[in-house]
Amino acid sequence: MTSFLRRHASLLVIGAIASLGAAALWQRDGGPAVGRALYHAWELFLFIAPSLLAGMLLAAALRQLMSPGALARWMGAESGWFGLAVATLAGMLTPGGPMAAFPLVLVLAGAGADRGALVAYITSWTLNGFQRVLVYEAPLLGPGFAILRVVITLPMPLLAGWIARRLPIAWEPPK
Amino acid sequence: MTPGQIFLWVLAVIALGFCLRRGPAAVHKAGVETGKNLIKILPMFAVALPMAAFLAELIPADAAVAWIGPDSGFAGVLLGSVAGGLMPGGPFVTFPLVLAFAKAGAGVPQMVALVSGWCVFAVHRIITWEYPVLGWRFVALRLLSSMLLPVSAGLIAELVVEVLPIALGSR
Repeated sequence: MTSFLRRHASLLVIGAIASLGAAALWQRDGGPAVGRALYHAWELFLFIAPSLLAGMLLAAALRQLMSPGALARWMGAESGWFGLAVATLAGMLTPGGPMAAFPLVLVLAGAGADRGALVAYITSWTLNGFQRVLVYEAPLLGPGFAILRVVITLPMPLLAGWIARRLPIAWEPPK
Repeated sequence: MTPGQIFLWVLAVIALGFCLRRGPAAVHKAGVETGKNLIKILPMFAVALPMAAFLAELIPADAAVAWIGPDSGFAGVLLGSVAGGLMPGGPFVTFPLVLAFAKAGAGVPQMVALVSGWCVFAVHRIITWEYPVLGWRFVALRLLSSMLLPVSAGLIAELVVEVLPIALGSR
């Protein structure tokens, strides 16, 4: 039972918030309002479904093609801005959620990437990962907004990596 | 289909083509992986999208204007960055919620800060993934290095929007 709860914690929390929201809306505006909201949710799903499927296919295909270890030799402590740029690009191309990206940091570290490159990599993945931008941000918030935010934050992982190389925090991959 | 979706499909077909050059087994693996991921993510959609829709109805139309509206300036950018970091869940939960904020009158620079803050700080992701996989030293290193990014992104967006007006939302 506890393992079931832990595995599905976010599902349960979001489900609980959804039920509370439905109850509050029913109370305030009546049943039809709840129905209308559900219909909006369904429309949103239909709107996002084609990108979702394409994004997942692309992510799965990329995972068959890329070997992160090979990239890491460009990302060592002496690699300078070039290494940070490689890490930034790799981060943008990394598909999938945290369950895929954080273990990849360990792979890259094991293959020689230094802490600056790793910080640049993970920052770039989270800010500008292609899946997040193309599947969710551009369709939902508009291409204009997505392009604005991506262009502004594009160089920021480089900066974060540059700072990370200068911070006196040594990091070793956990064994 | 929108141009963005067509672009994504073209990319997916190209990548699958490269997989096919490696052999049918790679394409099969990619297909199986996609199916597994879909099964994992669909239940999340089934609760997250209705949740966002209910909250969007419940949030008054101008609720966000005072806090993170277009005229909220630096305070709104700062608030957006912090609030973004506290939003739970992956993009399928957060973006519908962010959409609700946008409809409730949030400004573009403040939304840039909110989305960037969610990406960079993501407290729930630190607790569930980053700390267990990489340890607290990495978390500290990364947070110190990227602490100022969401606020800077919001402030730069403020400057850009002054010369280049950008509308939120697709519909």
